[in-house]
Amino acid sequence: MTLARPLATKLFPAATALAAALVLAGCTPATTTSDSGSPVTGGTLVYASGDAEPSCLDPHVGGNYPQALVASQYLETLYTKDADGKLIPWLAEDSTVSEDGLTRTVKIRGGISFTDGTALDAAAVKANFEHLLNPSTASSTGYLALGKIASMNAVDATTLELKLKAPDNSLLESFSMPWVAIESPTALARSQAENCAAPVGTGPFKVESWKKQDSVKLVRNAGYVLPDPKAGHAGTAYLDAITWRFIPEAATRYAALQAGEVQIIDNAQPDAIAAAEKNTAIKHLDAPRPGASNRIELNSSKAPFNDVKVREAFIHAVNVNASIDSLFFGTATRSYSPLSSVEPLAYSEESLFGYNPAKAGELLDAAGWGQRDSAGYRVKDGTRLSLTFPVSTSQSIPAEQSLFEQMQATAKESGIEIKIKLLDLSSWYGELFTNNYNLVSAPYTKVGPGVLSILFHSDSTVPAPSGYFANLSQVKDPSLDALLNTAGSTKDEAQRKDLYGQAQKKVLEGYYLLPLYNQQNHFLYSAKLKNVGATTAVATPTFFDTWLGN
Amino acid sequence: MSTPAAASARPPGFSGSPVRWLLGKIGGGMFVLWAVATAIFFGIRMIPGDPAEAIMGGPGSQASAQALAAARAQYGLDQPLYRQYFGQLWHLATGDLGTSYSLKTPVAQVLGELIPPTLTLAVLALLVAWAMALLLAVLSTRSGALGSALGSGLEIVSAAVPHFWLASVLIMVFSTMLGWLPPVSTNTPAGLVLPVITLALPLAGFLGQVMRDTLMEAQRSAFALSARARGESEVGVLLRHSLRHAALPAIALSGWAIGSLLSGAVVVESIFARPGLGRALLTAVTSRDIPMVTGVALISAAAYVVIMALSELAERLADPRIGAS
Repeated sequence: MTLARPLATKLFPAATALAAALVLAGCTPATTTSDSGSPVTGGTLVYASGDAEPSCLDPHVGGNYPQALVASQYLETLYTKDADGKLIPWLAEDSTVSEDGLTRTVKIRGGISFTDGTALDAAAVKANFEHLLNPSTASSTGYLALGKIASMNAVDATTLELKLKAPDNSLLESFSMPWVAIESPTALARSQAENCAAPVGTGPFKVESWKKQDSVKLVRNAGYVLPDPKAGHAGTAYLDAITWRFIPEAATRYAALQAGEVQIIDNAQPDAIAAAEKNTAIKHLDAPRPGASNRIELNSSKAPFNDVKVREAFIHAVNVNASIDSLFFGTATRSYSPLSSVEPLAYSEESLFGYNPAKAGELLDAAGWGQRDSAGYRVKDGTRLSLTFPVSTSQSIPAEQSLFEQMQATAKESGIEIKIKLLDLSSWYGELFTNNYNLVSAPYTKVGPGVLSILFHSDSTVPAPSGYFANLSQVKDPSLDALLNTAGSTKDEAQRKDLYGQAQKKVLEGYYLLPLYNQQNHFLYSAKLKNVGATTAVATPTFFDTWLGN
Repeated sequence: MSTPAAASARPPGFSGSPVRWLLGKIGGGMFVLWAVATAIFFGIRMIPGDPAEAIMGGPGSQASAQALAAARAQYGLDQPLYRQYFGQLWHLATGDLGTSYSLKTPVAQVLGELIPPTLTLAVLALLVAWAMALLLAVLSTRSGALGSALGSGLEIVSAAVPHFWLASVLIMVFSTMLGWLPPVSTNTPAGLVLPVITLALPLAGFLGQVMRDTLMEAQRSAFALSARARGESEVGVLLRHSLRHAALPAIALSGWAIGSLLSGAVVVESIFARPGLGRALLTAVTSRDIPMVTGVALISAAAYVVIMALSELAERLADPRIGAS
C-alpha cells in the first residue's frame, strides 16, 4: 500500500503512527493511534459531508455511500474488518457453511440490544434480510448482496440458517457492508417514512433528530455494548453527540474546518489536502474505498473498441501518470489493478499500461486507422476515430475532470478524438443505458473480490428493469465467466485467490479497462480530535474511540 | 370611484376601480401559474431520466420490474400523458402539491419549511441592495463628474460579478483570512451577512445605475430648479423631490429583481450550505423529483406575480400620475 507512504514522511510525528495504522485496510473500532493523553468524555463532534444529503437515513433503502457514512455511526453489521483488513465476526459470533455450500449457519451474539430495547437475535436478523429482499423497500445494494439467499430460518434465538440458491463465498463480505446493517425489527415494522427519519440500531450513537437540509443529530447510545471487547475501550462512546451536516461546496467545507466550525470533513480535495499538510492544526485520514479501483472502462460492444488493438492503442496513447502528478498533489497513487489496493486479492500488472504513443500509432495503423483527416484525427472508411466519454459531475471531482481533459489533449496527438460530455447523474445514466458511450468511469464500492463478477461477468450486461447494468466494458468471455463462477463458489481460499487473480489478468490483458487510482476517500480533521482512524469495511470512519481534546 | 376629471387623466388601457385592477391581477396570476405548471410538466419529461427511478431512490437503482411498475402505478405515471396532465392540473387547482419522490414527504410540508429562510435571504438582500444603490447614487451625484464616473464604474463591475465568484472571495477574505464571519450560513445575524451581501451586490449594481441616471435627470429638471429658487436646501430637493423620481424605475426593477434573487439563491444557498428553495430546486431537478420541481417553480411564479402587483401599487403611490381610482 503505497498511498500513505509519501504522506507519512510529510505528516507530523503524532500522526505518523496513525498513518501507519491507516495504511492497512478498513480498520474496525480498534484503537489504532498513539494519540497521547487520556481520553476526555464529552463534547459534540461536528461532521461536514460534501456528499448529497441522503433522502433516507436507513441504508436498506437505496444504498449509497452518503448513507453508509452516516449510518456507520448508529448501525452495526454482522461482520466487519479488523485493523489488518481481516474479516472478523461482529454482531455475529461465528458462521459455518455446509459441504455443498448451500446452507450457511450464522450464530448471533447474545447480550446486545437495539436502542429501543428490542433484543438482537436470529429472528431480528431474519427480519432485516426480509426487509432488504422486499421489493417495496427498494434496496439496490443490499438486495444484490443477498441475491443468492433462497430461504431463511431462525432455528433458535442465536442461530440463523440460510439456504442458498448457489454457493456464495462472498456472503460474509457482503454482511460487512453498512447497506446490510442490522436494525431493530420493531423499528423496521414502522412506515418507511418513519424508519427513514430515525432508524434504530445497536451502534455507539443513535439518531435523535433530522432537520432536512440542515443536519442530523446523533447522541451517545448509553446502552452500547462493544461486540468484541478486545476491539476498543470498555464502556460507551466518549463523545456526547455528533452533528452531521451537509456542505456541498468544497471550498466552504474546508473553510468551515479551518474556522473550527466543524471538526472533520470528507471528500477533501487534493488542493485542500496539500494545503492542510502545511497546517499543524489539521490532520489527514486517507481511507481508500474497497471494491473496484477508480478506472476508465472501454466499451467493447461496439466500434471502435470492439477491436482489441484499438483498445490497447488508446491505453498507450494517454499519459495518466503525468496527469496524476500534476493534478493530485501526491494524494493519489497510480493503480494498475481492477481492484482497490485495500483488497487483499488485488492483482496488478504495471507493464501493460505505459505511455507509448509510438506503439499506439503502430497498433492503430495495423487496425486500419492509418489515414488522418484534415483536423488530424485518424479515419477508416470515412469514419473518424471518435470516442464519446460521458462524465458524471457528481462522481468525478474537478481534478479528475481535468485529468480526462488532459487525456483528451494527449490522445489527439495520436489521432484519437475524445468527446467529453459533462452530465448530471440522471442524464449520465441515460447515456449508459442507451449504450451511448465508448469510455466511462463508474465507481463501484463493495467489500471483497466478488465485485469482479459484478463488473466483468457476461450476466452483468443484461440490464435490470431500470436499465441499469454494471458490466460497462461489456466483456462477454465464456472462459472468464467460468473462472468467475468457480472463484465465487469455491470453499478453498487458495483457489479463490488464484482464480480471481487469473480473472483480473484476463481483464487487464484484454485491455478492457484503464485503471487510474483507488477510489479516493480523504478526510481532513482538526488536531483537537483524537483517536481518529477506525473505519468500517467500506472505509467509512467511526468515532467510538474518538475524543475531543483541546 | 372615478370622476370624469380623473378619468381623463388616466393613461389608456387602465381600468378604473381598484377591485377590477385586483381581479385583473389575480386572473393574470392564474394564467402565469397555469403556464408555469404546463411548461414544467412537459419540460421535465423531455430531459432524460425516468421518474419511476427517482421514486425508487435515484437513477441506477437496481429496482425490480415489479417495484418499478408498482411505483409507476402508485404515482399515476403509467397513465396516458393527457390524463396525467389534467390530473396534475386538477390536483394543483385543489391545492394538492403531491408527495416528493425522493423525500417521500408532502411537498407542501417541505416547501413550508424552506420558504422562510429563502424569503429572509431575498428580502434582506433586496433591502441591502436598495440601500447600497441609493447611497451610491446620491454620493456620486453630489461629487461631480469624477464621482459620477467612479460610481458608474463600480455599478457596472458589481452588476457583472458572478455570484459564485463573489461568494468564494467573501468567504476567503472575511472567514478564512480575517475570521470575522462564519463561512457557513446560519440564521444568526453574523451568519446572514455574507450570503446577503453576495446576493445584494450585483443587484445593487443594476439598481444603482438606473437610480443614478434618473436622479441626475431629476436634479437637473425644471421642478428642482424652481424648488431651489424657492430656497429649498440641496438635501431638501434631494429628499422631497428627486428621490421619488429615482425610486420609480427601481421599484419597477424590483419585480424583476425577485426573479434574479431566486436564481441567485440557488448558488448562494449551495455555497453557504443554507437551507432554502434554491438548493431544494437544484436537488429536485438533478434527481428528477417532479412534484418538488413543480412545487418550487409554482411558488416562485406566485411570488413573482405578487411582487409585480405590489410593485405596481408602490409605483402608483410614488407617482400619482399613474392610474387613479
